[in-house]
Formats: sequence, C-alpha cells, structure tokens
Amino acid sequence: MIGFKESPWIIHYDASSCNGCDIETLACLTPLYDVERLGVVNTGNPKHADIFLVTGAVNEQSRSVIRNIYHQLPEPKVVVAVGICASTGGIFRECYNISGGVDSVIPVDVYVPGCAARPEAIIDGVVRALGVLEQKQKQMSAMRNSLDKTLYLRAEKTDAPEILTLQKIAYQSDAEVYGDDSVPALQQTLEDLENEFDRRPARETTVLGARGVSPDLSEDKDRVVFLKAVVNGKIIGSVRGHAVEDTGFLSRLIVHPYFRGRGIGRRLLGEIEAFFPHVTRFEARVGHKSKLTQGQLSSRGYAVSRQEPFTPAITWVYMQKERK
Amino acid sequence: MSPWLRLIIYLVAAPVVGGLLAGIDRRISARMQARQGPPILQPFYDVLKLLQKENVVVRRSQNFYIFFFLLLVIFTGGLFFAGSDLLLVIFALTLASIFFVLAAYKASSPFSFIGAERELIQMMAYEPMVLLTAIGMYMVTKSFQVGDIAAHSSLLVLALPGVFLGFLYTLEIKFRKSPFDLSCSHHAHQELVRGMTTEFSGRALAMIEVAHWYENVFLLGWVFLFFASIPALGIAAALAVFGFVILVDNVFARLKWQTALRSAWLVALVLGFGNILVLSLLR
Amino acid sequence: MILGPIAAGMGLLCFRAEAFRQWSVGLLTLGIAAASLALVTMVPVSGLKLMPGNLHGVNLAFLASELAIALFLLYVGFRARRPLIVLLVAVQSALMCWFEFRHGAHLQPAYNLVVDKFSLIMALINAFVGGGICLYALGYMREYHGKAHADVPDRRRMFFALMMIFLGAMFGIVFANNMLWLFLFWEVTTVCSFLLIGYTQTEEARRNALRALTMNLVGGVAFAVAIVWAWHSAQTIEIDRLVASNKSLALMPAALLCFAGITKSAQMPFSSWLLGAMVAPTPVSALLHSSTMVKAGVFLVLRMAPVIQSTAAGLAVAMVGAITFLIASLAAITTSDAKKVLAYSTVANLGLIVMCGGIGTHEAVWAGILLIIFHAVSKCLLFLCVGVVEHKTHSRNIEDMSGLVIDLPIIAVMMLIGMAGMFVAPFGMLISKWAVLKAVLDAYPALSVFIAFGSAATLFFWVKWMGKLIEVVRARKVLDQHLELGERTALYGLSLATFLACVLFPLISIYAIEPYVKNIYGQSGGIGQGNIIIMLTMMVMILLFPLSFINYGRGVRVTDAYLGGANLQSSVRFSGSANQPQDVTMGNYYLREFFSEAGLTKWGVVSCWVLLAGLLATAGFFAPAPGATAQGTPEHFEQPAAKPFVSAVKSL
Repeated sequence: MIGFKESPWIIHYDASSCNGCDIETLACLTPLYDVERLGVVNTGNPKHADIFLVTGAVNEQSRSVIRNIYHQLPEPKVVVAVGICASTGGIFRECYNISGGVDSVIPVDVYVPGCAARPEAIIDGVVRALGVLEQKQKQMSAMRNSLDKTLYLRAEKTDAPEILTLQKIAYQSDAEVYGDDSVPALQQTLEDLENEFDRRPARETTVLGARGVSPDLSEDKDRVVFLKAVVNGKIIGSVRGHAVEDTGFLSRLIVHPYFRGRGIGRRLLGEIEAFFPHVTRFEARVGHKSKLTQGQLSSRGYAVSRQEPFTPAITWVYMQKERK
Repeated sequence: MSPWLRLIIYLVAAPVVGGLLAGIDRRISARMQARQGPPILQPFYDVLKLLQKENVVVRRSQNFYIFFFLLLVIFTGGLFFAGSDLLLVIFALTLASIFFVLAAYKASSPFSFIGAERELIQMMAYEPMVLLTAIGMYMVTKSFQVGDIAAHSSLLVLALPGVFLGFLYTLEIKFRKSPFDLSCSHHAHQELVRGMTTEFSGRALAMIEVAHWYENVFLLGWVFLFFASIPALGIAAALAVFGFVILVDNVFARLKWQTALRSAWLVALVLGFGNILVLSLLR
Repeated sequence: MILGPIAAGMGLLCFRAEAFRQWSVGLLTLGIAAASLALVTMVPVSGLKLMPGNLHGVNLAFLASELAIALFLLYVGFRARRPLIVLLVAVQSALMCWFEFRHGAHLQPAYNLVVDKFSLIMALINAFVGGGICLYALGYMREYHGKAHADVPDRRRMFFALMMIFLGAMFGIVFANNMLWLFLFWEVTTVCSFLLIGYTQTEEARRNALRALTMNLVGGVAFAVAIVWAWHSAQTIEIDRLVASNKSLALMPAALLCFAGITKSAQMPFSSWLLGAMVAPTPVSALLHSSTMVKAGVFLVLRMAPVIQSTAAGLAVAMVGAITFLIASLAAITTSDAKKVLAYSTVANLGLIVMCGGIGTHEAVWAGILLIIFHAVSKCLLFLCVGVVEHKTHSRNIEDMSGLVIDLPIIAVMMLIGMAGMFVAPFGMLISKWAVLKAVLDAYPALSVFIAFGSAATLFFWVKWMGKLIEVVRARKVLDQHLELGERTALYGLSLATFLACVLFPLISIYAIEPYVKNIYGQSGGIGQGNIIIMLTMMVMILLFPLSFINYGRGVRVTDAYLGGANLQSSVRFSGSANQPQDVTMGNYYLREFFSEAGLTKWGVVSCWVLLAGLLATAGFFAPAPGATAQGTPEHFEQPAAKPFVSAVKSL
C-alpha cells in the first residue's frame, strides 16, 4: 500500500542525551541532508508521528515520558534508538540513575549506533525503520482483516519470547496507570517466563488447603497453562492459568493494544475456562486500577471477592466466579 | 457550463488540485530554503498513510466534528462553484470553521484549546473583510449570486482594488500560514505543538488535510472571481496569489494575535470599507 | 386576552395558597395560548379592527389608572429621593391630563384595537414564550426560595401577579391602536418591570430597578409628547392612521415614538437598564429579554418604520441600532457572566431590529419581524437554561460551565440548540441577519460595516461559550438532574420551538410576515426559493450531527492528551517543575486588554446621544410646527433641506 514508505513523520525525544545526537538529528533536516525529500516531517507531536526517535539513555526523569509518548503514538509505530546511549546506555550505563537503553522501557525496532550518530547513519536508521513500519502495517492490516479467523491455542515454551514481547507492549498502559515500574509483568525476564511454563503450581497456596491429595505430576493440566490468540501466525493475545483441585487461578490476560475492544480478551477467558472442565470455581487476579480487565471479567460473570495489598502502588483485586 | 456540471467538477477535481497545490507549495518552500524538497505528490502520500493509521482520540466524539467540518467545507465550495449566493457561501464556510473550532474544544487538551481560541480570534479578524468583499462585489454587480458576479462584463478588481488587497490579507489568514499560523502551527516545533490539530490522528487528520485542500481551491476560486471577465487572467491571478502566499510564508515570522486582529480589522476598515465608501459616493 | 391575565394577576394577589397559584397560572397560560391560536384563524390580512368609536368613558377609566400609576411612581420617587423620577412622572401625567380634558371629547378614533398579522405574531410570541416562562417560574421560584436564595423574602404572590399583569399589558401594547390606550399599557409594563427587577429588595436590585424606571420614564415622556404632537399635526391618535398619513406630518410623532421605543428596547444610551435588570430572578430576565418589555420597544419602532423610511430621522434610528449592535457585541466578548453575555447579546440583536426599523424598507421590516421571532424563542431558551444551571451548579460564570455536557447533558444540549439558533448558519437568526444585510445594502451601504464587524464579534463570544460547554477536562460532577414539571415543559417546548421556527420559517414568512409587509408597502421581500432549499439542506446536515453519535467510541483508541509526555495518568494532570503534580487549567480569552467594557459603553452612549439629539432635531426642524394642520400641506410636501442630505447619506 502506498503511503507508509513515503511519509514517515517523526517525533524526536531527548531522553538524557548530551545533545550530540540531537544536533545530528536536526542536521538531517538542513539543506545538506534534507530528509524532507523522503517525506520526513518532524512533527513534534506523538499523535501525528509514525516514528519515535529517541536519543540518550533512559534516566528516572525520562522513563515515564518515553512511556507516555510511546503510548500516544498511533499504531503502527516504530521506535528508533539513536546513538549508543539510547541503544545500550553507553558510557552512562552504570550510572546510578540510568536504567539502560531505550529498550529497557519500550520495545525498540532499530538501533543506530555511534557517538554521536552521524546524520547518514540516522537517515539510514530511519529508512530501515520505514521497512519495519511498512511490514508492521501490512501485518497489522492483514491481521485486522482476519481477526475472525483468530486461533486460540495452547502456547508452547517456544512461544515464550513472543509472549514476553507482547506482554511488555500490553502492560505499557498499566505502567502508565500505576505510575512506576512496580508492575511485575514488565520486570519479567525471558528465563523467568520459560520457567513458568515448567512450573507446577504450589499446592500450599490453595484456598482450600487441600494438601495431601496426591497429584499426578506427569499430568499436563497441573502445569501452568498458557493460551495464545494467534492471527496469521502472530500472537496478539494471551492468558495463563492453572487449576488446583476444583479451583482455577487465572492471571495475565493480555491483548495487543491495537486489537483491543474486539472481544479477543473475552474469548481467551472463555477458552481457558473450557480448558479446565472439572473446575467449579475460577479466581482471577487483577490490579486495582486495571479497569478494562476488571470490566472484561465482570462481563463474564466474575465478581470481586477480596483485595490484597501488593506494593504501595498496586493492590491485587481477586475476582471469582462459580461455574454452574 | 451548467451549475451541476461545475459542481461535480469541483467535487472531483478540487482534492486533486488542492493536493497538488499543497505539494507544489512544499516544493517551492523547500527551494526557497535551498533544499530539494519532497515529491510533488507528497501530500497524497501523507493522506494515504494517515488513512491507514490507528485513530487515537482523547474524547470519543471529537472526530465527529471533524467529519462535519469536512462535509461543510465541501458544501461551501460546492455552493460557490454552483454559482449560488455569496453570502450563503460565507455563512456555510463560517459554520464549517465553527465545527473545526468545536472539534478542538472537544479534544480538551491545552494545546488544542489554545489553538481553538486563536482560531476564533482569527475568524473574528477575517470575518468582516470577507463580508465586505461580498458586499463590494454586490455593489459593483448588483447581485450576490456567484453566477452573476462571474458573468459580469467588467474586471471587478478595477472597481475594487482596496477590497482585493484586503481580501488578499484575509487569504493569508485563511491559508493558516506564517505570519498567521497562530492556531495550527504550520511549521513544527512551536509553542503550541500543532495547535488545533494536536489531538487528531489517522483518519481525522486526513480529513482535516483534505478539507484544507477543498478550502484552498475554493478560496482561489474567489480570487478568480475578481478577474472573472478575463478567465486566463483570472487563473494567472489565482496562481500568482498562491505564489505570493508561499513567499510571505517563507519570509515572515509569526505575528502575535493582538497584531493579527488589529491589523486585519484595520485593513478591513481602511482598504475594504474605504473602497466601498468610494464606490458608493461615485455611484 | 388583555384583561384575562390582568384580572388573574389581581386575583393572585389576593390568594396565598401555592396550589391555587399553580393551577391558575397553568390554566391561564393554556388559556392565552388557546386564545391566541384562535385569533390566528380570525384575523384577515388587512387586520381585525375592533372597538370602534370614541369610548370616552373607557378613556377616562384609562386616565384614572394612569394617574394611579403616576401617584405610585411619585411615591416611589419621593421615597427613593430621585427628583428626576418625580419630574418625569409629573411632566407626563400633567401632559396626559391636559390632553384628555382639552381634547378627550373630540377624539374620533375609528378603532381602538387593531389586530393585524404583526400583532398576531407578537401575541403568539407573548402567549407561548411568555406563558412558557410563567410555567417555568412556578418551579423555579419554589427552588429559588427553597434552596438557592433562602435569604430573599418570599413574595411570590406579588411576583406571579406582576408576571400576569405584565403579559396582559403586553397583549394590550400589541393590539392597541389608540395611542392613549397604548400609552397606559406602556406605562404598566414600565411599572411591572420596575417592581420585578427590584424583587429581591437588595441594595443593588433597588438601584437597578430605579435606573430602569428612570430610563423608561424618559421614553414615557417622549411617548406622551408624541401623542399630543400627533393630534396637533396629523389630527389622529391612531397608530394605523398615523402611519398612513402624510409622512411629513407624522414624522415628528414617529420620531418621538421611536425614541420611546429605543428607551424601552434598551438601545445604547439606555442599555444600562437592561444589563442591570439581571439582578432579578431568571424568569424575569427571560421575560424582559425575550418576549415582552424590550420587544414592545422594537415593535413600536417597526410600526413606525414606513414613516421614517429614508428620512434623516430614520437614518439616525438606524445608526443608533447599528452602533448598539456593534458595541454590545464587542462588550459581550469581555464578560464571563453568562447572564450578562445574554443581556449584551439581547441589546445587540435589538440593535439589529431597531436598525431594520430605521431603514424602514419592506425588506428591512420583513427581516426585523423575523428577527423578533427567532430572537424571542432562542433567547428565552438560553435564559431559562442558564437559570437551571445556576440553581444546579450555583454559578453562572461561563468558565464554570466547562464540561456541562456531561454534568447536565440535557440542559447543555438545549443551550447548544439555543446558541445555534442565535448565530449559526441555517438557523433563524442568521437568516434574518442575512436579510438585514441585504436590506442595509439597498438603503445605506455604509451601515453594513457595523454588521460586518458586529457579526464577527458575535461569532467569537458564542463559539467560545459553546466550546466551554462541550469540553471535558475533569470527571463528571454528580448533579441533581431533576427539573420541575413547569421547567421541563417550558424548556422542551422552547427547544422544539427554536427548532420548528427554523424549519418552518418559510411558512411563517409566507402566511404571516409577507401579508403584513405587503399590506403596508404594497410589496414584500423574502428569500428566494433556491436559497431556502440550500438552507434546508444545511439544516438537514446539522441534524445529521447527533446521528454520528451512533458511532460513539467505535474504531478509536482513547489515550491521554499530549502534555509533552509529562502526563500523570491523565489528560489534565502533569508532572511540573521539580516533579510537582500540576493540574491543567484552561480559560477562555476575554480580550479585556483589547476592548474594555466601560470604554466601549462610554463611546456608544456618547455617540448615540448625539444621534438621538440629531433624530429629534431633524425631525422637529423639518416637520411642520404643531398646529399647522394637514389641509395646507400638499401630498408631495418635501423636506427642502433634508432631501439632499438624506440622499447624500443614502448614497453611502
């Protein structure tokens, strides 16, 4: 489709840069390089932009700003980290107030190295970003068109990296809501997630306290079950849950922001309930400010049963439902 | 040509011409700044891209106002090219602008809010001159019908030089370019981000772009009206005015709204009203 | 219809029970509405003429009531130590007494009441809009005394009695043909408005009421002089004969009547009384601003339009209207008090109507009548809505109305309808403005500049108010949505009326306005059919707008507004310097450093006084002296010196 490759609009944000990369970025607009011949416009407004161009490493001040701006960019969007600081943290990596490169906060698509990155390199990075952008656009529009053919499957351990990426995108909105980085879903590492695939739920945590019933550890359903919603081979949603006795515990219902509001989350809930046929009671855990998920749950018949403080910022809300 | 035919030509051709003019504008501006500039078709690429983007809003109803802005701008131009009553055309245009301003209010962000306020001031600044232009044309041709005005035998600009200059001044405001890009910030990185359009994305932004194309063609059509008895001259004049607007855009810094309002009213009073006064005394 | 409300008003004074009051006001409103509808079917094109002959007895009864009013006013004047009031009352009652005893027996009025199409339109407005206000007031005043203004003494008995008498007197004004009768009703409205404005009895209310009284009495004196003069020059005290008689003879009385009309309709030198009238409870403001009081003034000016057409006096009247329109519109920009904005807008629109009267061509009169209709309905709706908002949110500041569309959705939508009715393209007021512009261009092109600048200012203050209503910058406030039955009836009825008036205006024009204009001028204006179709197309488009809400929230993702990325999980809170959370505040522009209300008013008042002096001077100078009767002056009598002057101005 015409358009995406020809009209990249950029928002440029200085996370904590020394201004070296910023100057080089702006140099791209000058007559010598004139990126406008590629259709580039420096909009200065996330709502209009396609490409989020970040310079400098992420510090405490800039973290929430990056997240806010990223969230306000309409899909499809591409993040370009310009300069070594934005890519990895650079020489500031070990500083007490630096949390690393831009990818420590949001997923980055293109890295432009250099200190400072040369204008040619930046232009090259933007052009590469255009490729990514177009690909994302194609993928997304194809996915949008075949949403009715979404498959709801059990995820394997090999899906872990993709689910983790999705999780980090999906929880951006939560990070904004809860204000700090205390959202555990954003802290999770790949190993941790892979381990979760193998984990057997601890019996002790059950409300019923039914210790002593000997479980068949080889049985699949005793593990944490991951479901994924797949469109055109891409995962756009996921939920996980496990059953202990006749209680099913659900958590981490995630849907890609672009595909929200189309019933995918509700469908995932239905699928995972169906996965535990002999369970009579389901309990789901959500953050107290995640109104969207709470709404989805209550529309499927869940009601708040109890609350439990987790961190100063988050209180877990447990919602439960009896199956008739 | 029958009015219906003109209307249909306008509806089909105006976005093409408007888009091309916008492309040419960007190209010429780039050349004035010793740059190569984007392709001529760049505005079309932009709009096509915007149509495929996600629609991000702050308030769920904000895009409805934009839709009606587009609809009414098209309606305005349609009325004009179908040869209807010039005053009605102005009222329709005002209504369209009101919808645009309300859209910005509805978005409820500080940047769009300031943009809306400034746009209102701009509307207040150009409205008298626009009305006086219609009045001047009426004084010469004894009709408000665009059709009759276009068919008038003499060159209107000769009788209405002051009104024409005043109208040129309002055009500067209506094109929303420097020195009057107070409300939408034609060039990036200014204090009000993108002004009124800040909170619009995707399809809504595309609609705003297309509305501007329609609007610009209609305004240039009005310039043509001043020279309508010699059509070739009219087209040349419309293009020359467009070039002049680009030139002014590139050589002027932005004015404060106070200056914009004061100067626009002064121009309307001195050039517009003066011209009309002289006309009525000579009559 | 005249006596009914007045009698009911007197009755209301005697009974205290609230239930009785509600029933009687309700029934009466229905009654006058039905009566005015019945009248519609009865009135022929040429007008219904009633009560022929010299009813000397009735006249004496009228004089007696006038004297009673005068005595009351004298008492008021003495108590308030306002010598001016005393003087004005004394002058006018002395004049009237003298006239009655000197000429009372010789007067030969053919018809004392004439109901033509124009009176009918006014009567309908009075019955429906005025009646609606009374219904609204039933609920409003209960709340007013219940919660909102517990400190104000409850004098509702008097309040409703006055409202009723007011309506009756207004019917009198629009139907009366005998100027002596008209004068009485005129004075009754003056007194009623004085009492109603001073309803709350606060210091400010009392002061403003006295100001209103003084200014209206100035008009009253002019009226009295006009009657005497009319008898001496044109030998008639009937409005229709005066209008039809020789222009030169009728000019001075007409100019004086216009002067009276200008005071009543609060044009520039006198505009302050209407602005001060805001201190009264909202139904009073609505009544004064929309259907009665001020409309009586413009009614009279429009009646005189054929006489002053293309005279210097007419030009002066038109100039007063034009200047008032411009200055009041500019002044409305600078204020954030909703009622004051409405008041300025009223003054401005009345200016337009007065301008139409001053121009006096058939197109202008057509436009003027149309303006009266649309303005009455929309403005009344707006006032009543502001009244409700003030009760629910305890503020009438426009800045506090931000987000009203989610707090009080129904009221907000009604206000938007009313505002659209006031200035947006396919709606009524704009049609009239358009017609005014055309009429002005054909008569005095130079005056068009006032309309051009004035409309621009109008646009500014309405749109920014609309914007405030629809913007949403905070969570919904939980407000009491309850409306009393009367309030509901009035508000829904008026919204519907605003809307219907716009859709049906071609019919109103064909069946009511055009016959009247034709009857007087022999020709009639109007808008071409093609343009009506275009208007209706636009109307349909606007009506489609609510339909777009079917799509509400579909296909969009909601995010926060852009605040430089520093949002704190909200569109209106951000992390400011030193990470301090800060709230976004957004306030409209009032351009106060640009236009100052006081400065504008000063200029307006001075220039309008000059114009009014000019009006009386030219009319007096060129009109034959009183006593020089009609027999000596041929039909083609021309004002020798005025002619070139007028034609010179006309060419502008």
